[in-house]
Amino acid sequence: MPFDEIDRRRFLLLAAAPLLVAQKAVAPRARESMLQMNGYAVNAETPLALLTEYVTPNELFFVRSHWIPRTPNPKKWRLTIDGEVDRSGDITLSELKKLPHAEATCVLQCAGNGRGLYSPPLPGVQWRYGAVGNSRWTGVRVRDVLEHAGVKPSAKHLHVFGSDDPPGKVPPFHRSVELEKVLADGILAFAMNGEPLPVAHGAPLRLIVPGWAGDHWMKWLVRLSPQAEAQKGFYMETAYRYPLTPGAPGVAFKPEEMAPVTELFVKSNITTAPAKARAKHACEIRGFAFSGAPDIAKVEISDDDGATWQETSLDPRHDPYAWRLWSHHWTPSRSGTVRLCARATDSRGNVQPREATWNQSGYLQNSWHFVDVEVTA
Amino acid sequence: MKRAAIIVLALAAAFASAATKRSVAFDPNLPVLGTKFHSLPAGTGKQQVEASCFPCHSADMLVQQRLTEKQWTAEVDKMIRWGAVMKESDKPAAVAYLVKNFGPANKFTPVRTRPAGY
Repeated sequence: MPFDEIDRRRFLLLAAAPLLVAQKAVAPRARESMLQMNGYAVNAETPLALLTEYVTPNELFFVRSHWIPRTPNPKKWRLTIDGEVDRSGDITLSELKKLPHAEATCVLQCAGNGRGLYSPPLPGVQWRYGAVGNSRWTGVRVRDVLEHAGVKPSAKHLHVFGSDDPPGKVPPFHRSVELEKVLADGILAFAMNGEPLPVAHGAPLRLIVPGWAGDHWMKWLVRLSPQAEAQKGFYMETAYRYPLTPGAPGVAFKPEEMAPVTELFVKSNITTAPAKARAKHACEIRGFAFSGAPDIAKVEISDDDGATWQETSLDPRHDPYAWRLWSHHWTPSRSGTVRLCARATDSRGNVQPREATWNQSGYLQNSWHFVDVEVTA
Repeated sequence: MKRAAIIVLALAAAFASAATKRSVAFDPNLPVLGTKFHSLPAGTGKQQVEASCFPCHSADMLVQQRLTEKQWTAEVDKMIRWGAVMKESDKPAAVAYLVKNFGPANKFTPVRTRPAGY
């Protein structure tokens, strides 16, 4: 086997190594925390108030694990390429790094981010807002690796395999991605924000699929296999599916009434708003917005439940499929509890809905984000 | 001279860039991520739930749920299909415990943690 099982303590030590280096390089700023949703397997989201920078620091980046990982041993690690290719075989990390490097700064959002906001409630990790971040991923293009292997025209789907090994009879987390998408945008990343990819985020190699939900971003990659058909199994045929036609909240869709989750939906969140403000005095409201489209066209906020909207200023920093930071000087016109909300419109004209489409697994929640401000005269 | 000025400016820009790099300081009193978990409240069925669920999940996974009896029954059945060990005779008590404590009105607060190394 190209990997060894490690226990949780070693996993944590490995995860800590790059962080120790990073900590020496910078001065402390504030007392921060991550919100642990599950102790094992580790799942943690970032407090929304900390997601204020264009590039999310590695140590603040949300962590999603299906189960306690069996992380690859970097010395023995190989990436196996087989399936519909002319030249199947294994490739080492150093061989991989000799290919031209590619970089993408883009959003990674867990498909289930916001599951805890759906009503009626659904089983699963009750993510609220912070299973999302924007990072700079460095690696090699999937296209270059597959061209090197001689991918055949018959291949339409890239089957991806991590070293995850679930307990008991739990189905393996095996996925596939449409080949057209990964040939266009996919990266096999070995670095995150200029540092070696942390173990918690999939070291030594993770698939990056800009604009698509996190279930495609396979961690601890050990095998790529182009195939004519999509992957089978629980995590393709039952989970990570979204209704083709919206239904009433609580309805149970059959698998054939749904299609795999792919692109992210247009979404904005408010990260900075005062708890208290004074009428007729301006205060700053900030946030981020992203979509499965390459860019955000505008973000608006409303203080009258969507009757009127005020356009915010978009931060000029942007990369395809990255988030846009936005800000707005908002002047409350009246005293009392004022409910602010934000909505984004992406570069394809998709408008963030007031209510996300209910689905039985709680994916892609993108309702308007409401924040209350107490305004005094 | 002009070249030296350009070099100085470039170095200044580089240092400025390093100095503005985001600094993160976590509360050192917080537990490290993955080392402290919620505990389950006392009650009939707790023992069965712990024995069957804890091999793969910390209590956190349970205490954040807000499920009806129908949903909890479906979850327990799914986990048994996936390898959780639970006697059929223990299932009613386990489901009743889960519904009583983690039903639709349940409130959950995540554990505040810091990453390892902070």
